[in-house]
Amino acid sequence: MKFLRLIYQNLWRNKLRSFLTAAGTMVLVFVVTLVWSILGFLANATTEKPANIKAIVTERWRIPSMMPYAYAASLKDGAATEPEHIKPSDHMSWTFYGGSLDPKKRTFENIVFAFCLEPKKLLTMMDGLEDLPPDSADRKTLEAGVAKLEQNRQGILLGRDRMERLKKKIGDRFIIHSFNYKEINLEVEVVGTLPARRYDQSAAMNIDYFLGAIDAYKQQHNGKAHEMAGKTMNLMWLRVPDTPSFTQVAAQIQESPQFSLPAVKVQTSSSGISTFLEAYRDLLWGMRWLLAPAILVTLAVVIANAISISVRERQTEFAVLKVLGFRPGQILVLVLGEALLIGIASGVVSAGGTWLLVNQVAGGIPFPIAFFPKFLIPADAWWWGLAVGGGTAFLGSFIPAWTACRVKVSEVFARVG
Amino acid sequence: MLEIIIAVVVLLVLLVGGYFTGLLTLAFTNPAIGFGTAAGLIVVLIVLSKVPLSYNFQNLLVRWRTTLLTGLAFTLVLSLLTVMLAFVKGMYVLTQSSGQPRNVLVLAEGSTDEGFSNLAFANIGDIEAQEAVAKDGLQPLLSRETYIIVNQPVDASVPGRPERRFLQMRGVDDSRLTGRVHGLPLYPGGSWLSDAGARELPPKGDSKEPINAYEVVIGEGIARELGKDRPEAMSQPQLKRLDVGDTFNVNGRVWMIVGVLKSEGSTFDSEVWAKRSIVGPMFGSESYSTLVLQASKDFRRDQRAAYKEERLAKIAEAIAKTEDIKKRAAQAKAAGKEFTEDAGPIPTWTEPKSNDHWDAEMVKAYFNTDYKKSSVNAIVETDYFESLNQLNLQFLYAIVFVTIILSVGGVFGVMNTMFAAISQRIKDIGVLRLLGYRRRSILICFLLESVLIAMIGGLVGVGLGSLSDGWTASSIVGSGQGGGGKFVVLRLTVDAQVLAVGCLLSLMLGFVGGLIPSLNAMRLSALEALR
Repeated sequence: MKFLRLIYQNLWRNKLRSFLTAAGTMVLVFVVTLVWSILGFLANATTEKPANIKAIVTERWRIPSMMPYAYAASLKDGAATEPEHIKPSDHMSWTFYGGSLDPKKRTFENIVFAFCLEPKKLLTMMDGLEDLPPDSADRKTLEAGVAKLEQNRQGILLGRDRMERLKKKIGDRFIIHSFNYKEINLEVEVVGTLPARRYDQSAAMNIDYFLGAIDAYKQQHNGKAHEMAGKTMNLMWLRVPDTPSFTQVAAQIQESPQFSLPAVKVQTSSSGISTFLEAYRDLLWGMRWLLAPAILVTLAVVIANAISISVRERQTEFAVLKVLGFRPGQILVLVLGEALLIGIASGVVSAGGTWLLVNQVAGGIPFPIAFFPKFLIPADAWWWGLAVGGGTAFLGSFIPAWTACRVKVSEVFARVG
Repeated sequence: MLEIIIAVVVLLVLLVGGYFTGLLTLAFTNPAIGFGTAAGLIVVLIVLSKVPLSYNFQNLLVRWRTTLLTGLAFTLVLSLLTVMLAFVKGMYVLTQSSGQPRNVLVLAEGSTDEGFSNLAFANIGDIEAQEAVAKDGLQPLLSRETYIIVNQPVDASVPGRPERRFLQMRGVDDSRLTGRVHGLPLYPGGSWLSDAGARELPPKGDSKEPINAYEVVIGEGIARELGKDRPEAMSQPQLKRLDVGDTFNVNGRVWMIVGVLKSEGSTFDSEVWAKRSIVGPMFGSESYSTLVLQASKDFRRDQRAAYKEERLAKIAEAIAKTEDIKKRAAQAKAAGKEFTEDAGPIPTWTEPKSNDHWDAEMVKAYFNTDYKKSSVNAIVETDYFESLNQLNLQFLYAIVFVTIILSVGGVFGVMNTMFAAISQRIKDIGVLRLLGYRRRSILICFLLESVLIAMIGGLVGVGLGSLSDGWTASSIVGSGQGGGGKFVVLRLTVDAQVLAVGCLLSLMLGFVGGLIPSLNAMRLSALEALR
């Protein structure tokens, strides 16, 4: 305890240096926390899960995948036709409907990208929404929105940022002029918002409304179907309990003759996300193997500099400590302790502060990669701060501390004399 | 005392940081400003410093460990910054060098990206026949194209390779014409696609059946990427890219390369061109996505001035409308009334800089306003690729953010060093003051030392970062308007702008980091210092 107090007093003795070292550590830990949060999230999203697997069925060769909606009826059962076939426990189809409020000029301020789906699937299958705590305000808002989407076929749930960009509010009605389903222009009414962060730029609509509009087009054009009528489903999500079930359901679908024109493929969601992230491969490599390590080394250097300056200034003090009976090991621990205290404290404060600031104030890190618009800081960041602050402090201070414990009393006093 | 120092630090960092941020922006547009400011400031400091320069150097050498560690921190920060800027610069170079100033892209109405464009067949012939399209004899210089993204499973036999990749295919009717319109020649030894777009290859292995292969012409970048899939590439690194005669698989079929495009530095570098009549039906894209045409020379030249006036008048009208709406919104707010009217974005227009670009601009205007047979969205090709820079901006903002944070870390590091240097040399300061050196000289002396450490460390960092020049990296460019984006292979580019920003940032960090400690040193009186 006395030793700890001594460490604390030593740091307090040169407040300015301690402050500057802590501040340097804090800003660098802040960047590392941001980088690791993004990389950690993406790593988690692309790691195969052993249970409760989500599978994605898409067109086999083409991007964006476009399948006939007729596929949905059989796909939702995993193309099960035999008694021994496995049926998925849940499913969700996605149809991407994109458009702008101004048919002539599309800008970031007037576009809408909506998932057309069965509204209730937002609660059970949608990534990031399915696991909202039942009592949370977000869950309750979403449940209310889903109920309204089911009652009002023209309803739309808008992400918060999108609603702001469009300058709309709940109750507003407007027409979306589609650019991927030409002439399928839908009048919608804003009936609610999607929970914050992941879907801030998105929207959700009732698939029945969209399919109704495709049917209406045929009636209005003397029985001539819309050119995209056979391409009204982009994705089908299926939930299966484990890897063997996934393998079997994938085989059921891929071997089924029902899905030949176009052919389909079945992937786990993590595998699908990996393919999308392939375009960012080098960028992510740079973040992982250049940015983060360089920051860690910089941090170690900044701490090493501060501690070595301190050690050089305190040669006499260490000599006196030795005369008073301090063993070299104790001096080593004293110097290391100073570095570790400052590194760990500032690392934890910085990472914890980042966690609070980004998650509670900023609503996530706005760094859109693939279809992830924002990233949250995981609670693990507290440990990262501790580990990064402590680890770099240890590495940076070991040599100065070693120098301190090797101080020769006679040489120091000879110089002083 | 500590509180005052913190407040002064924050204030000075904000003031000087704001000033230098402006300079950094200028340096990115005009490297001479960056180099000039960096060199100029050092020269001014040296000239103003009455204390011999050798005193500074000796002090740096005497405290070589501290100098080295501080310089090393700058080296790391600046090398990182240089690599990051080289990446963004590479993306800008890629989008700016893609596209011909004379070309116009014709997409379906409402589409701003090829990925979402479907042009009706019936309109193509008429568009081709327009006077606005340049001709070579009777041949309209117009390329009919279908842009498709294909999911390609990758041979898993090479470790570390992805399981699948998105391959960008461009179905073309006449590859020679497409190459000509885009200004992309082939490497020697290659040929354009045949009329059939397919050929028979001799049987392989035990099979006696010939292999039916589809012909493709591919960009260099994707040829390199596909080359890495070959298991033999692991042991033979000299196999840099696929070449004429090599094959690869997509959609369970064999595709044979008949030509490699000299496409480096453009987005076409990552594309595979095949016969549209083959890939269109194969991948369910029956219609054309894009027409790329060369503008007719001096098309409506006499109308350029009127067109310019019209564009500027529209902008002025939009500005006036926005101002009016703002005024009425303020009045409504004051009256506590709801106001929902929105003026929308103000249109922008940049006057074409070359005759070719003017021709393309006039042709674009013709198809967008005067051509009535079908509704299309015509875009000058260079403007289209310019619009794909939206994602670059996103990366640039992220890099600026990271750089600012890292710089603050670097500033704290150099402050620590300089405060320590001053506390170790308080007696020196007293002696210098007794020798008649003024406070200003003491300030400049320490500031110069700080700037020197930062500049030396920073320049080494910029030098190390410059080694990344020429590295290739895969990435994505896009307009950010739901436009899909294009997968590209870019080349990291370290040019004068990147170097200028690096030099100026080093200087800025040294200056900001050294300022407070130097001011502290300046404040010391001779007696106080010698006590």
